[in-house]
Amino acid sequence: MINHYLEKAWVQYFCLAAVTALLVYYFGWVFDFGYKFDWTVLYVKDASYGIVLGDMLITGLGNTITISLISSAIALGLGILFGLGRLSQFKPINYFASAYVEFFRNTPLLIQLFFWYFALPMALPEELRYKLFDYNYEMISATVGLGVYTSAFMAEVIRAGIQSIPKGLLEAAYSSGLTPFQALSKIVLPLAFRAIIPPLGSEFLNNMKNSSLAMVVGVAELCWASQQIESLTFKGFEATTAATVVYLSLSLTIAGILNLVNLKLQIIPKKNRTIGHLLADIFFWPFLAPLALLSMLSRNCFRRRTEGFNLTTAQAARKALLANIAKVFSLAWKGTFLAFLLFLIVMAGVGLSKFNFQVIWDNIGTMIYWRFPQGGPDEVLWGLGGLSFSIIMSVIAISVSFFIGLIVGVGRTSKNKLFFIPSTLYIELIRGNPLIMVIFWIYFFIPILTGAFLNVFWSATIALTVFTGAYLAEIVRSGIQNIPPGQLEAAVSTGLTYLQAMRKIILPQALKQMLPAIVGQFIAIFKDSSLAFVIGVLELTFVAQGLNNRLMIYPFEIYTTVAALYFICCYMMSIVARRLERKLSTDTFRLQM
Amino acid sequence: MKRLVTLALAASLVMAFAASAFAGATYDKVMKDKVVRTGIMTDSIPGAFYNEKKEWVGFDVDIAAAIAKKLGVKLDKVPVSNKTRIGFLQQGRIDMSVSNMTHKRSRDESIDFSITYFFDGQKMLAPKGKFTSLKDFVGKRIATMQGTTSELNVKAALKKLGDPAPKVISFQKESECFQALQMGRVDAWSTDSTILLGYAAQIPGKFELVGEFFSNEPYGIGLPQDDSKWRDAVNFAIQDLWIDGTYQKIYDKWYGPDTKYYFPMTEKIELWP
Repeated sequence: MINHYLEKAWVQYFCLAAVTALLVYYFGWVFDFGYKFDWTVLYVKDASYGIVLGDMLITGLGNTITISLISSAIALGLGILFGLGRLSQFKPINYFASAYVEFFRNTPLLIQLFFWYFALPMALPEELRYKLFDYNYEMISATVGLGVYTSAFMAEVIRAGIQSIPKGLLEAAYSSGLTPFQALSKIVLPLAFRAIIPPLGSEFLNNMKNSSLAMVVGVAELCWASQQIESLTFKGFEATTAATVVYLSLSLTIAGILNLVNLKLQIIPKKNRTIGHLLADIFFWPFLAPLALLSMLSRNCFRRRTEGFNLTTAQAARKALLANIAKVFSLAWKGTFLAFLLFLIVMAGVGLSKFNFQVIWDNIGTMIYWRFPQGGPDEVLWGLGGLSFSIIMSVIAISVSFFIGLIVGVGRTSKNKLFFIPSTLYIELIRGNPLIMVIFWIYFFIPILTGAFLNVFWSATIALTVFTGAYLAEIVRSGIQNIPPGQLEAAVSTGLTYLQAMRKIILPQALKQMLPAIVGQFIAIFKDSSLAFVIGVLELTFVAQGLNNRLMIYPFEIYTTVAALYFICCYMMSIVARRLERKLSTDTFRLQM
Repeated sequence: MKRLVTLALAASLVMAFAASAFAGATYDKVMKDKVVRTGIMTDSIPGAFYNEKKEWVGFDVDIAAAIAKKLGVKLDKVPVSNKTRIGFLQQGRIDMSVSNMTHKRSRDESIDFSITYFFDGQKMLAPKGKFTSLKDFVGKRIATMQGTTSELNVKAALKKLGDPAPKVISFQKESECFQALQMGRVDAWSTDSTILLGYAAQIPGKFELVGEFFSNEPYGIGLPQDDSKWRDAVNFAIQDLWIDGTYQKIYDKWYGPDTKYYFPMTEKIELWP
């Protein structure tokens, strides 16, 4: 009887509304936060400081947008370069591009920013360093660091997109007489473009959210601004809420634009076009109209077509000469690149030879386990810290968030609004904000709600869990939607309930497909655990900062070692992910046989 | 029916948790549990930091330990930062905050402070021999730490000296400020002078304090709002430390003439008969 009513849409909406109203009433009037809300701090001139503190948020937003736009351009340019480089048949280029992508993808952005800002200048000649400092070095290092970091992910997206094109297309293009450049620009890229755009859009979104880390190198961006208001007024709730709303708005804006791009790229019959497609056409008309005009003009001007056969002697000679010139040019370019590579290797060698390895050796233990077991019983795990903490936090977070992701992911695919709407809200709210904001929310407000005062270790771990749960939910949802709908129909028609069908038929298959993505998410969590340093968790980044604090004169050694430690762990995990992927595809291959 | 029971149970659990969050005053809780949870910084030399042996030491650590001993309770140290030392008090996560916190009226609106247990002021730390007075810093790049009032103080001071738009860069940690100074990105770092002394002493002979104090920074112990018994207990403990000489001993240990961080004592703690 209850089930019958719960299947009705209006009952579902009513229940959701009722629960929402109850929550609003309880937290709005009944619950004692022990905190006096004062939203005026955001828009009234503060008596103590003589400024409107909300202006800081606006300035911070400007910085966030500036960094995001410039670093996106850097990331896209480098991403294309290295993405194509990874597909090159010239092995030195392939190796270099692969090394670049793997290194920057497998170290935390936080460590990279510290390196760009604090370590790199110390490696430059003093004169060059001071010349660099005449510019806004905070913005430069944050933008470049962020751009380089995101470019590694974009390169991977581009490579995967191009490789998803069936090889036969390329062979057909070559057999038709197209040059490699023509094949790439007219056949492969237009097709790959459609495959690349959606994940590339996700990288733009991640890039915007990652700009919140610019505050660790002194940039006054949006996250910094909300922290500043909290520091000056102790009205953390108001400032953090404002920043959260702004980040969410930025995320939704970017997501909206990406959606329009996707609609624009769809090839669809006229009769099936929706209002969305019309909006996409309108939105992109200012960009595409000039391109169409340009295309028409170039078509008219360059009608002449040349043939490759029945050439006169002179024409044949000219063609042969051009071929020779191209060959020589190609050899010269390859030689130049090899020389550049050799230069890099020599420079790295010289740099390493100047390292103070004794400092690294003396402190490697501290970086890995801090001061275990000399710590007291009042410390989590008797003074364990450093890399060990990062690993433990990550393992706990991935284990717990797996179940959160499973439940929320299934809820996301449900037709029942009672599960669908809350799941969607959770996913979009968490994914719309930087992890650092989630960390602050958990850190400051869970104690208020529950009265339990957690060690910062647990605050950070819970934040990582909640944050990752939203991403895993998306992975689960896409995994489930990958299973042909006929299977669910067949299961239900044989008498299984929805829950039985989901548990016994759909999920076992979907989870298998999800495994590589889940391992990838684990790598992301592990890197993100470095953000816990902002609330004082004694993980690897915090310990490194403390060491750098005490040692003072070896920032290069410390940050290089930290980057190496993170890289080793992440790279090993990515190898595991790759093996899982191959293992699964082998099964698929066997099925085909 | 089963669902309704579950729902009611969950609701009552939430209610129970909420109720227990703010039960009892701090003084009663501390005396009953015999533990005082104290917020202390971790990278504030020589106030509170990890030394070569990874021990948590410093002036603030010793003061907190002495107060706890005077009160007859055990000291439970909780690491805090410039961002968390006040929030933790508001939440009730800690009972007091001994974390080089300046007693300011605006802060007093959110928490209470003990009497001043340490007197400091803000100065500039700069490379040795380059600057002689505060006026020399007009147009220069200055590092400060976010979450402190140093930034506002230094901006106000430079504006008064004729700098229309002071170039202040705000970092997350003191160690970052010092490192920016070390590599030349900033010309000076400005905060409480004892903190500056602490860092300058790590590389002897390279940096110096410049100019006069341009703000007063009396340190008070942060305490929960509106808890008179607890505030009195802490105030009495501080005064007793002064009277019986323990304070002087701790002070000389960290700021005395024989230390790396020599800082002459110029003020007296407020004493009541």
